[in-house]
Amino acid sequence: MRVGIMSMAHMHGRSYAAALKSLPGVEFTGIADHDAERASSTAEHYGVKAFASYDELLADKPDAVIICSENINHRPLTEKSATAGVHVMCEKPLATTIEDGLAMIAACKTAGVQLMTAFPCRFSPATVRLRTGILDGRLGKILAIRATNRGKCPYGWFVKKGLSGGGAVIDHTVHATDLMRWLLGTEVVEVYAEIDNKLLHQDFEDTGFLTMEFSDGVFATLDTSWSRPTGFPTWGDVTLSVVGDKGVVSLDMFSQNLVHYSNKTGAVTWEPWGSNVDELMVAAFVDAIRTGKPVPVTGEDGLRAAAVALAAYESAEKCMAVAPASF
Amino acid sequence: MVKVALVGAGGMASIHARGYAALPNADLKGIMDIRPDVARNLANPLGAKGYSNFEEMLSEIEPDVVDVSVPTPFHIDYVLAALKSSAKAVIVEKPMARTVADCRRMIDAATDAGKPLFVAHVLRFFPEYAEARRQVLNGAVGNPATVRMRRGGQFPMGWENWYGKTEWSGGVPLDLIIHDFDWLRWTFGDVTRVFAKALSSKSTDEYVSRDYALVTLRFESGVVAHVEGTWADPGGFKVAFEIAGDDGLLEYNFNQPASPTLLAALVTDPDQRVGVPVPDSPVAVNPYQAELEHFLHCLETGEKPIVSPEDGLAAVAIAEAANESAKTGKPVQLSGGAR
Repeated sequence: MRVGIMSMAHMHGRSYAAALKSLPGVEFTGIADHDAERASSTAEHYGVKAFASYDELLADKPDAVIICSENINHRPLTEKSATAGVHVMCEKPLATTIEDGLAMIAACKTAGVQLMTAFPCRFSPATVRLRTGILDGRLGKILAIRATNRGKCPYGWFVKKGLSGGGAVIDHTVHATDLMRWLLGTEVVEVYAEIDNKLLHQDFEDTGFLTMEFSDGVFATLDTSWSRPTGFPTWGDVTLSVVGDKGVVSLDMFSQNLVHYSNKTGAVTWEPWGSNVDELMVAAFVDAIRTGKPVPVTGEDGLRAAAVALAAYESAEKCMAVAPASF
Repeated sequence: MVKVALVGAGGMASIHARGYAALPNADLKGIMDIRPDVARNLANPLGAKGYSNFEEMLSEIEPDVVDVSVPTPFHIDYVLAALKSSAKAVIVEKPMARTVADCRRMIDAATDAGKPLFVAHVLRFFPEYAEARRQVLNGAVGNPATVRMRRGGQFPMGWENWYGKTEWSGGVPLDLIIHDFDWLRWTFGDVTRVFAKALSSKSTDEYVSRDYALVTLRFESGVVAHVEGTWADPGGFKVAFEIAGDDGLLEYNFNQPASPTLLAALVTDPDQRVGVPVPDSPVAVNPYQAELEHFLHCLETGEKPIVSPEDGLAAVAIAEAANESAKTGKPVQLSGGAR
């Protein structure tokens, strides 16, 4: 299996690169980036080739690519790869408009290649166990979910709407929304959102409180805010509290940490020891492409979750609950 | 494919059995226990055969590996017999043996036979402990100075209440916090001095079933460590540690308990709607399975395991010193890991 990476604009690309290096039977072909300096520095770091262009990377005939560009470039890079007959795993959010997402899905379908959305939370041993418990019926009927995916503001292109499609809402709605869709097996039918910028006082939203209803009547809230201060001991969190008619289960996906108090930096940080979910996800992608099985998270999954974020913006603007786009 | 014969079908043996069943290069052929039905019940669902006679199992299976996971005082005889058999390697559950003298006999026998003897100090394969050691060696706390560790919960139930018999289990110092003793040696080097208090030292077996031990260790490097071990806490099993140095502090579960990764509270009585919250912290690879995989890998490649037989002996020596100190009220000196 030969896999390349298109753009390192998103920091998750570094984690996927490390996974490609460590997985047996995988050849990490190299990195292309419209930022040539970033391509050469990251390629040097991982000991792989820096391609001069995306076309050159594809001309090298990889089996698959991982796309970690700015959000708005997901579409052109996916279309280019599909045309070259190369399978794609695309960083989340899949797209910043429904139109772009549908075009990506159609391009891959037409070319006969697979499109996976990078949702690593599905590969956490804790979420897998939570879902198994739910499917075993031990929690009874699911009634409601309280979710958070809070973080620190990543700045850079993430806060430039022309590159990212928005702020905290487009960045952090999709992970937890995907987890809830995956747990429930139903779709979001209604979204209400309160959005604001009173944490950082900039021209992008840093606050997003979403309320959703699913087609089976389950309701949920999700906090997508960049509300963790710079001194917070880690990047953020993913938590779910699931209420069923036979009990409750809470999940704190990134709580497997050692707490580190340092004299050198004067800071308190959390050093993770839990399983590497990015590596588990890349392994699942590679395995699906290698064996010809369907990828475990599809482009449709990615677009459904993105549609909830887009509906949140619409709701906040209209001050009313709205339905996510149907497709 | 490595043919495995497992001696014992109790608590830890069951964990090892499932570990082998999940490993692609292990073929668990037989499980032996003096209780034939217990051996059969564990073996059959895993596609192995149950035995109640050790020699019979070895002559029928001709295993590559014999895994000894029986109560501690019985390790010595099975390990010595397995080293004499045609098996290529022996795995022994921690503690390596009931006494340092027995550990030495095992090491001599393994050396004579020219066979690897793997001591199952599984804590080295727990990701939180492995990461803590990595952080310490990377200088996260500077030069380490003080270490506090905690381990324990309810009193464990075993065959013939063997944990409750000091002569068999060695109480909390030998059976339970030997995990921490081994991790401490792995991370901070050899121990020079041990001072300990333990309820089990006070009298007969009366206290063992709620043994509680507080052990202070002094290391050659100057590090001072404190280990608390308990079978007296009905509140559920819990571990914790902190490592302080001249440049920082690394902490797990002591000062800042993180949320449980998973916490399920499910109704057990529908009328009362009551249930007990059960925390869980799953990881992708089971540490017990990772440990056995490592040992089989070492057998196949000839690589040195991360736990040597001398490490197994040194951990027993610390536990033995702790029990002696608890009895005499005096500190016990160790040199080079053993007296």
